[in-house]
This record gives sequence, structure tokens and C-alpha cells, in this order.
Amino acid sequence: MSAQGPFSGAHAFSAGFLKAWVDQAGAIQDFLARLADQSSAGLPPSMPPPHLAPWKDFVDRLGMGSVNPAEMFPGVPALGLGREYQETAQRLLDLSRQFQQRYAEFAQQNAAVMQDAFHVMKKRVDAAPQALKSPAELYDAWIDCAEGAYAQAAHSDGFARLLAELCNISSAFKVERGKLTEQLARHLDLPSRAEVDSLHRQVRALTAALRAAPSPRGKPTKRAKK
Amino acid sequence: MSTAPDSLAELLQSAAAMQASGRSVLKTMLGLGEVEVGTSEKRCVYSEDKIRLYRYAPLARSAGLKPLLICYAMVNRPYLLDLQPDRSFIRELLHAGLDVYLLDWGYPDGADRFSSFDEYVDGYLRRCVEFVLKEHAIDSLTLLGVCQGGTMSLCYTALHPTQVAQLITMVTPVDFKTPENLLSKWAQHIDIGLLTQSGNVSGDFLNLVYLSLMPFRLTQQKYVNLLQMQGDRVQLENFMRMEKWIFDSPDQPATAFREFIQWFFQENRLIRGELTLAGKPVRLKDITAPLLNIFASKDHLVPPSASIPLGAHIGSKDYEALEIDAGHIGLYVGGKTRKTVPAAVTAWLQKRN
Repeated sequence: MSAQGPFSGAHAFSAGFLKAWVDQAGAIQDFLARLADQSSAGLPPSMPPPHLAPWKDFVDRLGMGSVNPAEMFPGVPALGLGREYQETAQRLLDLSRQFQQRYAEFAQQNAAVMQDAFHVMKKRVDAAPQALKSPAELYDAWIDCAEGAYAQAAHSDGFARLLAELCNISSAFKVERGKLTEQLARHLDLPSRAEVDSLHRQVRALTAALRAAPSPRGKPTKRAKK
Repeated sequence: MSTAPDSLAELLQSAAAMQASGRSVLKTMLGLGEVEVGTSEKRCVYSEDKIRLYRYAPLARSAGLKPLLICYAMVNRPYLLDLQPDRSFIRELLHAGLDVYLLDWGYPDGADRFSSFDEYVDGYLRRCVEFVLKEHAIDSLTLLGVCQGGTMSLCYTALHPTQVAQLITMVTPVDFKTPENLLSKWAQHIDIGLLTQSGNVSGDFLNLVYLSLMPFRLTQQKYVNLLQMQGDRVQLENFMRMEKWIFDSPDQPATAFREFIQWFFQENRLIRGELTLAGKPVRLKDITAPLLNIFASKDHLVPPSASIPLGAHIGSKDYEALEIDAGHIGLYVGGKTRKTVPAAVTAWLQKRN
């Protein structure tokens, strides 16, 4: 089967699509034949699998090869078999971006603190050039200035909010990452966090019930006769 | 800034001296090995899950005072109070003839993530108090709370006023929303539910927060000063003990930590009289025992303004506030304070014996 002749004059998209379709059929046949043939068991570790390669070519030809599908249509819910993974992956990506943005702001703020500290230090040295006699004193003075400038910034509401945002984004990232870990653990039949939590809850409930239960009245134990 | 030739010469000379000192420090540190902490003799008399209740071996004739139970914070390790033989708050109390118990919260792990704050106060702490009372066949003891442990001790005393004959709080936050309280300012916008959703809060996270309070001093100057110790083995061992303690922060059980941050830091429930633990209201007015409130004037973690208001909110008529010229840690291990603070505690207790 060839896709060249009949589709060559058609719209590039249609032609590409049909060529991929036809090539895929051939690739699947080839793939199945190789699987059946024990002599070629060691298939090359290519990604994607050989039978999906035509689709990769198709996507590449459209100029979408290196683009994350979720990025192409932002806001559109993920579809299909792997939608849960896609959504988690997308949230992780979003959170990473948010963190980078906030961190850049944080770095800017810290740079401003250093600038302020430098100005204070300069004023201090200019005011009393002979006061700081040794490099050690100079260094200690610098630390004082830096801490002073930092404290002023750190006590501001803007700083607190930015720090909190960084923390909150990290927390959200950790939650999403936990979901993936949870899924992976289930696939590998390993104890997952949810399973362990469930056991802890049971132990806690048992412990609480045990504490609440009236203590058994101690009957005098009879000594065994020798 | 001037860079006159003489300044430059001095700079080079100083740099050379520091380099020599640095070499000496490194050489000594190579032979230091593991430093020992918490060396005073003690035995575990009660344990439950991760917590341990220790009783210290006496070092002097009994002063005839009620047993003293120390409730330390959960966010750090309690061996700060017995860091080394010559810097030991606990040892000084033992030398004064006190019978000292210490509640060690241990290192919580995933099994503790659902333990609530009231389980720590009205569960573990209550059972430790009851153990000591039973052991001595007495109705009340002396409770000494440190930092967060002080806040827990206040809650406990308010819930069980008859079990606490005297209460001592050290660097204890009571009003969590004062302008000087940087930790509190940072905590206001944190989504604490989200932070604890994926489990316990790591000790490393706490360390990062502590370092961020004074980053230049705590991550730079401290180590530059280390190079000036000239390879003095004793000084370096002291430094390493403190270094070990500083970074030995246990993970925080998720639920209890969430409740602590939300109820105390974000909502300031204790001082507002809105706190409820184990279904019971926690009213500072219910604290009628004599109370000694010790705070440090240079405390960057719990500023004096967070501790001072306590006196105005408790029901006790016997209240004394003691300001110490030290920082949050220096209170226990500082040159003078390591002797004067335990002496002040002992004297205060003896007066009320």
C-alpha cells in the first residue's frame, strides 16, 4: 500500500494524516512479526514504540512535535485513558512555573535588601572612616547592616506574603507529586501512603477504644502450687 | 571606603592570620569525632509511642521541693537543657537538690501525623504528670515549660489547675501577634492546611525558617567566627554541640502542627480566651498557681512582647516576671545565665515551699 500517489495532490494535512494511517498499519504488522520471531526479541529501546513512530512523524510535520498537548489548548480538560496523569502533570508544570515566577520576585527583593545594606554601610563608613579599624570589624559592620536591611524588609507585609506564596506553591506541588507517587505505588503493588494512613487510623481508633474501656477488675491471681 | 596602603597591608595581614587560624580549626575538627550531648545520668521511667519521660539521678541532697517536670518544645530537642556538663540547666537544678523529670517528645514520624495538639497536651503530657504524681504519692507538682512547651504547660495548667503547684514558663509565647514577632508575621499567610496535607512537616523546613530569621548572622558570620577560634579544641567542641542541636529538629506531626500554627499563630486563641482542647475551654484565668515567667530581652524567636502579657491574663495572684539579658538559646548556655537562671528558679521555688 502506498499513500503517495492518490493523496499527493490533496491538502497537506489530509495527506499527512492518511500517510501516517497507512504507515502505521505497516508498522504494526512489522512489529507483530518481530514479536512473534524469537530471534529478534531484543527490540531497540526506541520511544515512542515503533508502531507509533508514524504518528510522531505526523505530529512533527505539523510542527507540534516538541509541544506538550496540554500547552496547545490551555484550560481544555484532559481526555482519554491517561487524563488523570495528564492533569496531574499539567498542575505540576503550572506550579513549577508559578514557583519560578515568585522565586524571581523573591530574588529581586533580596537583591534590593543587599543594595540597601550597601548604602547603609557606605554611609556608616563615610561618617566615621576611622571607626572600623580591622577587616574583622568591617565584616561585622557589614553583617549588622545586612541584618538591619533584611529585618526591615522581612517585617513587611509584602515579604511575608511572597514567602507564604512560595511556601504554598511548594506545598501544592508536594500534594500533586504525592498523587503520582500514590498511583505508582498501587501499580507496583507497594504499600501506598493512603493504605498506611488507613492502618494508622485503625490503630488510633483501637487505642482510643482501649483507653476508653473500663479497666478489668484485677482478680487475685492464684499462685501455682509447687 | 578608603583603600589606603596601610589598610591594604592590614587587610592582607589579617587575611593571612585568618587563613592560619582556619587551617588550625580544620586540623582540630578532623580529630573531634562525634560530640556528646545530654550526658547527665537519667533513666526512662515512662514511655508511650514516641515520647519518653526521664528522671534524672540526684546530684545533691534533696531540697525537699516538689518534683519538677520539664515540658520542652516539640520543635527542638530537649538536650539543649543538658548540652554538656558545664553548660547544663538541668545539672544546676540537680545540684540544688531538685528531683527533675524531663518529657522528651521524641522524633514523630508518619504514624503520628494524625495526632492532634490536644492529644499531646491532654494525652501524653497528662499521663506523664499523672505518672509523677502517682510515683511520689502527691497531688501536685512543679511544671516548667520551655518555649512551645511553655505554651503547652499553660494550656495544661489551665485544664488541670489542681495538679500544678507552681508553674514556670521560660521564653514562652502567649500573645502570638505582637509587632516584633517575625515568625508570626510570616505564618499569617501560610496555607497551613495545604502545608500539612502531604504529611508531617520536616525538621529541615523548620531549620530553614529559623535560619531565615537572621540569615547573615546564622549562615555566614557564625562560620567566619568559627575560623577565629584558633583551633581551640574545647571551643570547637562547644560549637559542634550547639551546631548538632540547632540542626537536630524533629519532624512535626502534621495535625498537631497545623492546629498549633492555626490556633496560636494565626488566630491567637490562647490570649483571646477562645482556645478549646479536648472539648474543654482553656482559660488562662483558671491558672491560679504561683507563676514565674522568664523571658529573654534579646530573643529573636519569642520576643519579650510575646511573653510579657501573660501576667495580665492569668488568675494567679503570685506572679513574677523575670527578664534575662540573653537570647533565646543563650538563656540556657550563656556564660553567666547558665548559672544565674537555674539559681533564680531554685530560689523562687524555695520561697514557695
